[in-house]
Amino acid sequence: MKFLTIAKKEVIDIFRDRRTIIMMVVVPLLLIPVLLGTVFKITKSMAEKASEKQLKVQIYGQEYAPDLYQAFADMDKVIILDQIPTDSIQSYIQQEFLDVAIHVDSDYKVNIAKNGQAKIRIQFKGTDSFGIAKDRINGVLKKFENQIVSERMDRLNLKPEVVRAYNINYEDVASRQEKFGKIAGGWFPYVFIIFGFMGAMYPALDLGAGEKERGTLETILSSPASRLDIVLGKFLVVLLAAFLTAFLALGGMAVGIQSIPDIPPEVLIVINGVLNLKTIVLIMTLVLPVAAFFSAMLLGLSIYARSFKEAQSIVAPLNIVIIFPAVIGTLPGMELNAITSLIPVLNVSLASKDIIAGVINPVYMAEVYASLFGFAGLAIFWCVKMFNREKTIFRS
Amino acid sequence: MIQVNNLTKDFSLSRKQRRELGDEYKNSKTLRAVDNISFECQPGRIFGLLGPNGAGKTTTLRMVATMLKPSQGSISISGYDSVSHGQKVREQIGFMTGQTALYDRLTPTEMVKYIADLHGMDKNAFQKRKDHLFNVLDMHSFAGRRIARLSSGMKQKTSIARTIIHDPPVMVFDEPTSGLDVMTSRAIMDLIRSCREEGKTVIFSTHRMGEVNQVCDDIAIIYKGRFFYNDTLDQFKEEMTQPTFEDEFIYRVGEA
Repeated sequence: MKFLTIAKKEVIDIFRDRRTIIMMVVVPLLLIPVLLGTVFKITKSMAEKASEKQLKVQIYGQEYAPDLYQAFADMDKVIILDQIPTDSIQSYIQQEFLDVAIHVDSDYKVNIAKNGQAKIRIQFKGTDSFGIAKDRINGVLKKFENQIVSERMDRLNLKPEVVRAYNINYEDVASRQEKFGKIAGGWFPYVFIIFGFMGAMYPALDLGAGEKERGTLETILSSPASRLDIVLGKFLVVLLAAFLTAFLALGGMAVGIQSIPDIPPEVLIVINGVLNLKTIVLIMTLVLPVAAFFSAMLLGLSIYARSFKEAQSIVAPLNIVIIFPAVIGTLPGMELNAITSLIPVLNVSLASKDIIAGVINPVYMAEVYASLFGFAGLAIFWCVKMFNREKTIFRS
Repeated sequence: MIQVNNLTKDFSLSRKQRRELGDEYKNSKTLRAVDNISFECQPGRIFGLLGPNGAGKTTTLRMVATMLKPSQGSISISGYDSVSHGQKVREQIGFMTGQTALYDRLTPTEMVKYIADLHGMDKNAFQKRKDHLFNVLDMHSFAGRRIARLSSGMKQKTSIARTIIHDPPVMVFDEPTSGLDVMTSRAIMDLIRSCREEGKTVIFSTHRMGEVNQVCDDIAIIYKGRFFYNDTLDQFKEEMTQPTFEDEFIYRVGEA
């Protein structure tokens, strides 16, 4: 039971460290809500700006389609320009002096009259805010085209079915929870995986390399505690820090979402429905073994390092190794299957997505747990081995 | 009591380490840090392990404290073998180095309690022993302050208290005065002397002959892992050919 004595002391030690508290509590509980709020606010204000923007349009060949020209001129928030020479259009659009150039062919009227196709060429900048320029122009053209087609059908005495052979009616059976889970669900695990790793990082470095550097490791090595006691005591504290950070990151996200002022109520209902106690408990059961895996791995690497600084340089590249599968998990189309459920981190990401969406495959979930506990066990075994190696403990 | 028989310690060398050590270790896969040494430390006597830096003192004491496993030979402490009964051995010893080796974010009381808990001391025994030590070392005024905020003297007192809180019969001091000022060094030497008076077995390593002359009963001189002197301090004094202890030590190391 000496490992509990060690764990108790390490808890006191770690929780008195300002850096640990900042990483474990302040960042997830304050930074996440602030970041979420800021991102939403910026996104919203940019969308508003884009939709309220005065669109600068020049129509070339307006004399061939005066009615179309009039339709554009009647649009809200549109300025029709007529001074830009044809050879300067591209540079005007590039420099955002002009948003859209519409070219109407000289035989527009003839083609429309003989039930043919009139050519219209549109130049715009695809990188403008939210593609709103293109959408607004398309809206007018579509309305106009429908009107022409309708007139043609009347003239030819044809029914709409002639040109629309299918009457397609899409019925989406996915619940709102499922849709939310598949689209946004990937980002939830991404956040708590990263935070779980970050939460484990500092305590692991401090309790391994830090202790070695300070010379306090000899104090406990010469005590009656066995090496296993020392590893277990330290491991439990690193695990606690990782788990708490991941949990608080989830809490930070919940706080952040609730505090966004202009979030549509229907979205809020879905989010609140998704983030219920059952979902959170299920997700935390995935976080526990993955946090154990991180903790043991980081502690093993930390005890290998000669100093805190060396440990930092060893551990830093691991961030990418962890982030990569977590990001892969957020990609649309990535699903939990017999193979992905075995890959650590990726499986947590995908399984969490399914949990949030409410579509859990028990076989794959069992595989995920088996894989995570297996990897965590291996990492702990390796960590104990590292602590038992004289060459590691007294590496200098 | 400490009994050491034919103790040897080999460290495996990486290619990089072989390169750094030069031609002597070019074709060697191991470095012999301690080479077939034997000695005995008796209760109520102080055994001084002398040698220059890198001679094998720390490696020997780390093996005594079970932090390192011997490659050959054996160590017995209070009748317990250091390899097969490591935990029993660690229960018997108090280990102290020149570095204060304390946890900055704990208070002296918490530091001492931590070590007492690892030694399985019960609450009453701990309280009694702690009060006694804190009185003797005059630690009550800073017992509740974080160690990071203490002066080096206060830290050293805390280090002494944590080393002897469990009242171990065997004391291991690895260059305990290294890097310390005169006042703090004197406190440590006083502690070592008081351990002898209490009948404890004491082994301490140093490269300062003056300290040896002050407290030791028996001495061994180690160089390149081998003993080339192992007897009483009185015998050493009788055999001296140089005017001072320091000169004699340098002379003998040069001869080795």
